[in-house]
Amino acid sequence: MIAQTKAELLKIRSTRTTFGLVLGMIALILLFGLLAGLLTKTPNLLTKDDHRAVLGVGSIAGVFSALVGVLLVTSEYRFGTIRPTFLFTPRRSRVIGAKLAASMLVGVAFGIVGEGIGFGLVYLILKGRGIPFALTGGELTLLLFGTLAGIVLWAAIGAGVAAIVRNQVGTIIGLLAWGFIVENLLFAFVPSIGRLTPGEAQNALTGLTTNHLLSPAAGGATLIAWTAALTLIALALTARRDVN
Amino acid sequence: MLIGAGHREAGGVEPGTDSAVTARAPERAFVPHVKRETAVVVAESLTKRFGQLTAVDNLSFALNPGTITGFLGPNGAGKTTTLRMLLGLAAPTSGRALIFGTAYAQLERPAVRVGAVLEATDFHPGRSGRDHLRTLSRAVELPDARADEALRLVELDSAARRRVKGYSLGMRQRLGLASALLGDPELLVLDEPANGLDPEGVRWLRDFLRAFAAQGRTVLISSHVLAEVAQTVDQVLIINHGRLVTESSLEQLTARIGGSVRVRSPQLPQLADALRQAQIETTPSNDHALLAHGTTSERVGDIAYTAGIPVHELATESSSLEEVFLELTSETQS
Repeated sequence: MIAQTKAELLKIRSTRTTFGLVLGMIALILLFGLLAGLLTKTPNLLTKDDHRAVLGVGSIAGVFSALVGVLLVTSEYRFGTIRPTFLFTPRRSRVIGAKLAASMLVGVAFGIVGEGIGFGLVYLILKGRGIPFALTGGELTLLLFGTLAGIVLWAAIGAGVAAIVRNQVGTIIGLLAWGFIVENLLFAFVPSIGRLTPGEAQNALTGLTTNHLLSPAAGGATLIAWTAALTLIALALTARRDVN
Repeated sequence: MLIGAGHREAGGVEPGTDSAVTARAPERAFVPHVKRETAVVVAESLTKRFGQLTAVDNLSFALNPGTITGFLGPNGAGKTTTLRMLLGLAAPTSGRALIFGTAYAQLERPAVRVGAVLEATDFHPGRSGRDHLRTLSRAVELPDARADEALRLVELDSAARRRVKGYSLGMRQRLGLASALLGDPELLVLDEPANGLDPEGVRWLRDFLRAFAAQGRTVLISSHVLAEVAQTVDQVLIINHGRLVTESSLEQLTARIGGSVRVRSPQLPQLADALRQAQIETTPSNDHALLAHGTTSERVGDIAYTAGIPVHELATESSSLEEVFLELTSETQS
């Protein structure tokens, strides 16, 4: 599967789409970092959770790493390259595994860049405003690595959902609607269920302590369970379905 | 023994019984000259159903090494579906497809033995031709140099670093062919490779495939136009409605080109009746005429005279290969 993963990494590098995603991610993190750092009033920057929220602005990278996973799978179906891909690697589980691995590797890079920019920017702004840093070393480590883990897992979730849905527009709209609408509604109205969604599990993983959220460990386990379940469904469906 | 073994899944027929013998009989007739042990491609009672529709219906054939086979049939005959099953992209409803004696998906590194192109447009428009090939060669651990070699083989090296978006259809066809050649395969499977090629491109492809087969390698190309491949192939498999209509060498097919007689009359139905009574086969032609097959103009004129049917035109016509093809593929219409 190493050879296939190298092939998938080349697919990611050899179109301008990925470049566009990187630029979009950096622009959005800079924008939200500036807004959160400069416009949040001092009384709203006292608690640890306040600090986690603004300093963790790099988690936006998760949206983009998910998109990398989605595009790596759906563009193959959209442009028909899935046919030569499967002709060269007829064991389809290897292709799906390679796509997941490549997406997650890109997710690591996106996470490091996104968090570096987001955390660095907001940290400097808060320091400039003279706001004392509220997090301990351990809490900061959990915030940074929890967010990074989430960004990486979202890349796999993106690839997995894409392998199940196959249609590019459908997958992107579906994931955005789920992440930005359904999860929030569920968490607001049925928090006992909503906290089990991947997005809220990721929030828990970063150390956020909002009411009803899971513990960081349970949040991480929940997010991994989602990734594993979607991967298994994607593998089973891809192995069974004919390619047109 | 070998044939019987392959037939176990075919239709629930017990090998060794009388019914098994009857079931295999037509298949033997289709492939009398191919030894299964050496066959490069074998289709055994291959069947594919999509709901009510049977796209491929109990199709059996085998291909010898070193041959160029035209896989022909009208659009919708089941050619692409058959190729997809041969290449492991679609699962047969029943029957099986073997490449080098095993299912395609079971081949270790199939790309170094089989090169295949199913669609001429299977490229990411934003990726360069060279990068497209490299994404494929990496997956099977071939060096990047192979991508450059394949591009040279199809004479696409000057456009290698341009994005596919700017390629003409002919260039895309050749890039597809380059991807099939990456692994230096023994077998090429090409679906409608001449589509969108200009006459010069068709000639180029023909020369290329001839040279390829001259090295003892095997080619299977599909087309819905016989004329497109007639000068390339040595044998044809003609299918229609998912069933095998003819398997023959090109010479045998050409031999079927007989004279036919075109006769125009204001009383066509009566004339057709009279000819049928004389055991002469007819097919309707355009503008109040019909074609009488396997006969002469003298005979048709005499029959019309005897029946008292006026004849406005009587001419001998020799049919083209294409007409034989159309005739063959219309025979099985039920």
